[in-house]
Amino acid sequence: MKKNTNENIKVLIADDEVEFSSTLQTRLNLRSFQATAVYSGKETLRVIEEEHPDVLLLDLKMPDLDGLEVLARLKEEHPDIQVIILTGHGSFEVGKEGMELGAFDYIMKPVDLNVLINKIKEAYAAK
Amino acid sequence: MKKQTNIIHKILPDPLKSSIDLGLVRRNYGHFRLILFVTMLIITAVPVTTIAILGYSNYKSLLQKDERIQLKWQLDGSVRAIEQMVDSLKSVVQFAARRDRYKELTTNSNLKELFDRLHRQYPFFADLGVIDKYGIQQAYYGPYGLQGTDYSGESWLKAVFNQGLHISRVYKGYRNVPHFAIAVGNYDPRTRQTWVLRATIDAKTLQQFVDTIKTNASDDLFLIDDEGVLQTQSDYYGQALDRSNIETKVGIWLDISPEEEAILHGTGNIRTTPWSLVIMKKGYVTQNAWKSFRSKLLLIFFTCTGVSVLIIYSLVTLLTSLIRKADEIQISMMQEAEHKDKLASIGRLAAGVAHEINNPLAIINQKTGLIDDLLQIAVDFDEKETLQLNLKSIDANVERCKIITHRLLGFARRTDILHEKLGINDIIREVLQFLENTMLYNRITLDLQLHDNLPPISSDRIQLQQIFLNIVNNAMDAIGKDGTVSIITSMIAGEIRVVIQDDGAGIAQDLLPHIFEPFFTTKETGKGTGLGLSITYGLIKKMGGDITVRSNVGKGTAFTITLPINNEHT
Repeated sequence: MKKNTNENIKVLIADDEVEFSSTLQTRLNLRSFQATAVYSGKETLRVIEEEHPDVLLLDLKMPDLDGLEVLARLKEEHPDIQVIILTGHGSFEVGKEGMELGAFDYIMKPVDLNVLINKIKEAYAAK
Repeated sequence: MKKQTNIIHKILPDPLKSSIDLGLVRRNYGHFRLILFVTMLIITAVPVTTIAILGYSNYKSLLQKDERIQLKWQLDGSVRAIEQMVDSLKSVVQFAARRDRYKELTTNSNLKELFDRLHRQYPFFADLGVIDKYGIQQAYYGPYGLQGTDYSGESWLKAVFNQGLHISRVYKGYRNVPHFAIAVGNYDPRTRQTWVLRATIDAKTLQQFVDTIKTNASDDLFLIDDEGVLQTQSDYYGQALDRSNIETKVGIWLDISPEEEAILHGTGNIRTTPWSLVIMKKGYVTQNAWKSFRSKLLLIFFTCTGVSVLIIYSLVTLLTSLIRKADEIQISMMQEAEHKDKLASIGRLAAGVAHEINNPLAIINQKTGLIDDLLQIAVDFDEKETLQLNLKSIDANVERCKIITHRLLGFARRTDILHEKLGINDIIREVLQFLENTMLYNRITLDLQLHDNLPPISSDRIQLQQIFLNIVNNAMDAIGKDGTVSIITSMIAGEIRVVIQDDGAGIAQDLLPHIFEPFFTTKETGKGTGLGLSITYGLIKKMGGDITVRSNVGKGTAFTITLPINNEHT
């Protein structure tokens, strides 16, 4: 069991909405998370290799690679990374598909930061 | 088909056209029924009526022809019989008036002896007279004492001198008794004188003879002279010597009797006499054959027509109601399809809008969050608190927008209900997969009592998942941390029952009636939209099921969901 403090948690935010992901990154860092933001599917896969995040906040619709595709590839190579699907394009069906591919949970935008942080902590704890 | 319709369209008056419109419209079924009824009636009635009329007129003309022929035979036979009688009378008189007997008959009592001899054989001879060339009756024997009568001015005498024979009309003459005369003219070579033997015959003889040839085959038979005076008694026109207005032309024609009956009227001339024989027979209409034919024909015609009307009426009624039913089904199917289509379109549109708005909302939400974060770090300044209040107001309104977009997405998901055979226990297990991690994290124990042999239900997988996810989520929220959620499935009265209970906070009794109302929530602001249970309630009702709730504050809450195995409501 890892120690449940924010400093230890590496969070990667993958969302093509730059304004959203960069702001979220700043706010998480303000709360002592080690947050990084990426803006495309391919970039996500590359940064994962470099940074090995604990939790990935993943948007489902990105211009180059679909979020579900990213999720599928990621889970093959790094099953230990917890993925929380975070999208405005969600529906229950897509969420369910994500869960079947191994996502930890599914949250619809816009999301309250406290709810999100609790979810990140849950995911990290379940790692 | 198209052409036929066009023709019908040309014939029909405008108000009736809509009722045979092939398109999908609500027709006037009264008009439709009327058109169908009248058309079928015409199609049936025209041939039946035509055949009836043809049969009627053909049989009528056949009977008439037959009757005419029969009357003609009867007339000819009767005319011949009377001619023979007249001939024989004429022969007797001619024999008696041999040329050279003028002298003999005008002397002594020879005329009396001739009369006696004649009278013995032919009792109807009334008298005999011998008339000289000057028209003076030189000798007479008979009961009336007409010796010496001067006939020189009489027209019949000239006729006798010219033609040698004259048969008179029936008349009363000097004797005042109906009789007729047969006068035979002769030229005596010895005296070189023309003379006439005139025999008077009682008209009763004629009547008796006519009576003997009159049979049942005719209704009236009598003799009439060329001036229309009856020579014998007539049933229709009166006694002998009455004057009548009967036409005396020869032939057979239809006439009206004085009793206003249709009669066949036949007239034939009797040779060498001024008489015509008239024979009358009541028309075919009164005859039995015709009467029975006509009544049978009418019976058949009206029976056929009546039966046709009945059959057509019931057929038309049946057809109309079938078409009405088919139309109604078609129209309601169309409307339903349109409605579904509309709902689906609205759903897609709503979902699209919601998706598009969610992303900008998320950005606004994060930006205000960041500003708030920075404000908290920053040193205090005059308007800091006001800024923070305004940020909260922005957040609250973002939350309102979010509720709307999520509601729109929920609505989009509700539009279609698919039907597949589903195991209720499988659905519950699938839903629990989503929640396992959260339960673990919150130390919530799961108590599953799933009945093994439940029949599959026909329903929509996604919607069932949504229902259970919602209720179980609520149960977990009610517990918070450390507790137990029990899920019990069973079969009750042919329906599936699922009880989901928690040992959480419970719901106050005064709030219980409101929990299925839209936007009703006990969760703190931002945690619940107040739509979950109302959407769940709507879904269950739409599936033909039911949801009830029992709750005690501090003890827990139990939701009981009842679902039909075959959903007949959608």
